[in-house]
Amino acid sequence: MAIGDVLYEAKNISKKYGSVVALDGASFKLHAGEVIGLVGDNGAGKSTLVKILSGAYTPDSGSLFLDGEQRVWTSPREVLDAGVETLYQDSGLAPHLSVSQNVFLGREKVVKGFFGKLGFVAKKQMEHEAHRDLEEVGIAVPASDRSVSQLSGGQRQAVAIGRAVAWARKVIILDEPTNHLGARQASEVLQIVKNAKKKGLGVIFISHTLPHVLEVTDRIIVLRLGKIVKIAPTSEFTGDTLVGTITGTIQTLKLEGD
Amino acid sequence: MTNNTQTQSKPSASQRWQKLAAIGSNQSTILVAVLVILVVVFTILEPKFLSAQTASNVLTDWGSVVLIAVGMTYVIISGGIDLSVGASIALSGVVAAWFMVNVLGLSPKATGGEVVYGLVLGTIVAILTGLAVGLVNGFLITKAKIPPFIATLATMGAGLGFAVIISSGMPIGGPNDFTVISAMNPSTNPLSWAVLAVIVVIVIAGLFLHKAKFGIYTYAIGSNTFAARGAGINVERHLVAIYALSGALAGLTGMYVYMRLGAGSPSSGTGRELDAIAAVVIGGASLMGGIGRVWGTVLGTLILFTVQSGLIMAGVAPDWKKVVVAILIAVAVAAQTFNKKGR
Repeated sequence: MAIGDVLYEAKNISKKYGSVVALDGASFKLHAGEVIGLVGDNGAGKSTLVKILSGAYTPDSGSLFLDGEQRVWTSPREVLDAGVETLYQDSGLAPHLSVSQNVFLGREKVVKGFFGKLGFVAKKQMEHEAHRDLEEVGIAVPASDRSVSQLSGGQRQAVAIGRAVAWARKVIILDEPTNHLGARQASEVLQIVKNAKKKGLGVIFISHTLPHVLEVTDRIIVLRLGKIVKIAPTSEFTGDTLVGTITGTIQTLKLEGD
Repeated sequence: MTNNTQTQSKPSASQRWQKLAAIGSNQSTILVAVLVILVVVFTILEPKFLSAQTASNVLTDWGSVVLIAVGMTYVIISGGIDLSVGASIALSGVVAAWFMVNVLGLSPKATGGEVVYGLVLGTIVAILTGLAVGLVNGFLITKAKIPPFIATLATMGAGLGFAVIISSGMPIGGPNDFTVISAMNPSTNPLSWAVLAVIVVIVIAGLFLHKAKFGIYTYAIGSNTFAARGAGINVERHLVAIYALSGALAGLTGMYVYMRLGAGSPSSGTGRELDAIAAVVIGGASLMGGIGRVWGTVLGTLILFTVQSGLIMAGVAPDWKKVVVAILIAVAVAAQTFNKKGR
């Protein structure tokens, strides 16, 4: 993939919960080396869109294309295998497992031979590699064998993001990655996003913290009541116009995203 | 750190205290200490307590609960509960006895090779019976979305019902070889072949829980189901496997209990599910999921039956056992909460 190619595309995605329309005909394209901000008020449909993109939910209608190929996801596993990583808001890690067990969760390295076939894991190797991968992503890593429940909120978030970036081959979806973080930790996260972009990954950045969105994204998608009301380059927004667009005090003309 | 630097820097008093505190807060160390204290106290109360005969009694009782407790450890770590294991013990014992008597045509008087053949096939039938109950549990929990407490309460009732129907409410006597379940040497060696087999099964179950993917997924589901699913784990399939394992271990226990009695009895598993839950909780697992060790459960079960045997030998009325077990559970849970706050 080259910088600028369309990586992940959503066409006319809709999803209802009973009679509630959570998402109504959402379409957008994410390019390689691009960071797209996804913003909207609570209930605007951000979480639903994230879950559809990550394979946790199936849309009622519409289609998804990864690398130009139409995909119908039947499980999160398939999406992960296709190179799309998702960091879910607040709940991406299993607190009772160690750092390395979390980094490798669902993709454990097994020992060689018969015992590997039975699923016996190569603990030391995973601890070593988890440490190395997190360091590469730019995260001050706590010891790999520590239980996640013993980490601070910031450290947990760092591990979760590090895991997503380390595994992602195409797209990373980050749902509120700077939530509950101090200023210094938040700027570390934003740096990680910029690094991922440089590597040619496509990033979808969901956040309520609009200064972070304005700082790190190339384009912004604004969702309101399940509809995409505006897609525009980040440079066209100021903090005020972005808030106005989200809340609907600024009238919007829906722009076709390219 | 190399040995050299370790010897050079002497630990300060506070470091030594920290080390002691760390050992003290280690669940299995506490459990071993509790066990030693119990043995000492009971030996003071009744000197005959410290004997191979007592050890044999304790171990034989232990074998009739520890496997379902190990299965329960998996279930509880995954955030669930399995109330059906006591009923599965009764049902699988009854079904195995019925099978050996009516299908294989073996009477309680059978001897020699016939008995071996009958018991091996009976064991397979017992395991399959327990496995079937476990699969029904898995289906009810993952497909019908019934909470584990209710789903396994239902199969508990149904299992006991079937056990009574098949046996007409009376124990079914069948072929047996009591040497398998008896101490190898009552005065020197309290182990039996049956207990050794139980230990082998526990070691395998422990390795899969603590060293293999199967165990990591079990912890992950109990710790954060959403994260487990997001990591691509097939949560439903894994839960079915866990309840199937719990059921199969109950089936195997059904055969163990059959061999103790020489009969499959519909009342042979009564209350065993509560013993198992008690053992798992005493062993340090959390009913909230995500926490627990096979070793803790093994010790928890041993404590349970040491208390039982000790009180009987010390001449205390058996009903006091329930009170002492209740206190042990309360202390174990309080210790957990205390540990969490300490962190």
